[in-house]
Amino acid sequence: MAEINKILGNIYMSNRALATIASESALESYGVVGITGKNVMTGIAKVLVKDPTLGVNVTYENESLAIDIYVIIEYGTRVQSVANSVSENIKYQIEKATGLTVTQVNVHVRGLRISYTD
Amino acid sequence: MAENPQEQTQDIHFQVIRTIDGQEFKSLIQASLTWLRTNQQLINSLNVFPVPDGDTGTNMLLTMQSAYNEIAESSETRIGPIAHDLAQGALLGARGNSGVILSQIWRGFARTMDNLETMDADLFVKGLIEAKNTAYKGVVRPVEGTILTVAKDIATAAEEAAFETNDLLKVLEAVVDAANESVRRTPDLLPILKQAGVVDSGGKGLYIILEGMLRSSKGYSLETPLMMVQPLEGMNLQNIKESVEEGQDYEVVVDFKPEGNLDLDNFYQGLTEIGTSIQVGEGDGMYRMHIHVEEDKRYEPIDYTMKYGTITKVAMENLVEQTGGNGPDGSLKLELAEVQPGQIAVVVVSPGDGISRIFASLGAAAIVQGGQTMNPSTEEILRSFENLPTEKIIILPNNKNIILAAESAATMTVKTVRVIRSKNVPQGLSAILRLDPDGDLDSIVKQMDESLTDIETGEITTATRTVQINEVDVKEGEVIALHNGQLIKSSSSLEEACFEFLKNAGTTERERITIFYGSNIERPHVNEIADLIRSKYPKQELEIHEGGQPHYQFIISVE
Repeated sequence: MAEINKILGNIYMSNRALATIASESALESYGVVGITGKNVMTGIAKVLVKDPTLGVNVTYENESLAIDIYVIIEYGTRVQSVANSVSENIKYQIEKATGLTVTQVNVHVRGLRISYTD
Repeated sequence: MAENPQEQTQDIHFQVIRTIDGQEFKSLIQASLTWLRTNQQLINSLNVFPVPDGDTGTNMLLTMQSAYNEIAESSETRIGPIAHDLAQGALLGARGNSGVILSQIWRGFARTMDNLETMDADLFVKGLIEAKNTAYKGVVRPVEGTILTVAKDIATAAEEAAFETNDLLKVLEAVVDAANESVRRTPDLLPILKQAGVVDSGGKGLYIILEGMLRSSKGYSLETPLMMVQPLEGMNLQNIKESVEEGQDYEVVVDFKPEGNLDLDNFYQGLTEIGTSIQVGEGDGMYRMHIHVEEDKRYEPIDYTMKYGTITKVAMENLVEQTGGNGPDGSLKLELAEVQPGQIAVVVVSPGDGISRIFASLGAAAIVQGGQTMNPSTEEILRSFENLPTEKIIILPNNKNIILAAESAATMTVKTVRVIRSKNVPQGLSAILRLDPDGDLDSIVKQMDESLTDIETGEITTATRTVQINEVDVKEGEVIALHNGQLIKSSSSLEEACFEFLKNAGTTERERITIFYGSNIERPHVNEIADLIRSKYPKQELEIHEGGQPHYQFIISVE
């Protein structure tokens, strides 16, 4: 739960709200074809999830916001470049929408989807 | 190109091209690369945010360069294998979002070329369709008004053109036209582009790549960048100031009123023979011309412009003097710390000469040039410390966009490398002050990390776009202030922007203000502002240094 202090009172933002921004941002990033559950065991990591909180971990401690996101990436793209743009996009969108500072975005690539084998 | 001697005429009619092979395709790609390089800055300038951060042109160029490198030495005549090598190179070198999409486009294209000897118009169309499909496969929610839309539109246009003709050149012409049209429409599809008043940079890049092929097929020059006439106030002169080409020591800016209608193409063409970094701006019937020239040619642009109209104002500046007089080659003589084996070496990324000197004086062992608009690659960072005679390295990236490159450099070496996530110069300086070369690496890293939060950082720069961010209305050309990376103020006055930051940073509770002034502001002006700050914050210590950084008038730290 993130907290912003205002003169009249406080604004509380749930992890779910932040997770939704993160997962939407990830899905808009080129190369990401799905969000997968963080708790899904190896082997069935291909299960895509709809609920953003299942594929995103939000940690808010000492006014520092860290995001962990679990994604499936298109086979044949440069994974590192895709992951970089996912983390930049998440940071940008969350900071734009909430004014909070995102200190860390960890992108966990849980699998690759193969559309073409070439 | 495959020739058809009967139809060989000059200029207006071009040879009909039925098929091309691998080597011909290679020379088209080379043309794309050259044309992309020529127009790199134009694409970079299409950025959406008010801070100069555009690097789509650079990212696409580096991706294409890596792609071309795979085929440059190849003597393969079949187009199939050449296209596959090209796609492989693009994949390996893909940088940024646009680079990744571009590599997918080549991947789809290569798949269609299979193992074939040559490509005809039909195969070209199939290649573009497959390229589009592959590009769209890479994203769940394709955003229209981007390079993806352009890839889609050209595939459709190619298909239609191929019904009419089997001349590859004609199909390519239709493709380039469609790309141009599609790029022009991107602001209608993507509101953020419209807000910023630009077209999509990635789409523009793809257009340039295709246009390069067409231009070389027609024998047009690939050396003169596409001209952009822009509103006068939009001429971003700081942006090009930093790139002083060798020998081009003088910057000349001439304002003039043309007699009758100005033939821009002609005017521009003449300028390219005199100098470089040419910009032409227009507003209210007035024109402004900007050019970099050699010393003994410095009056030529004025004489030249006089032929086109009445000159109202001339400004001339010696760029070498301006950049601090580092000698004709522009190289820096820095006294870097000498590291002994076993000691800790600090590698610093620095955006300006003055800042480099300060870091050097504080014990940096290696300096990599780089900042907001030119991020150094992982390899450049790696190279900077690989030869240092010690195993313990600390990197200070000093820019949020460089942290990742620094971290990936850290994983690519056998040395023990720690990256301090410094997002700006003041944080980097605050960190390097904790350096003890003979200390324990872990505890020094810990101290440096902790030092990052002790400091408030302000960045004062000029907005290159009109945009609204963080509920701050930013107008192009206004001065904006960022506090710890967040936009807080846009103002027509530099002073006001500075004071807004100082207020926001809680300066009255702090002890010291340090200002690094950039290459785009004169010392007397800096002194005036310094006096104002002194009178408003008399209890705080004020230090002023020449930072020499591009784009940012001031980088300010408050501790």
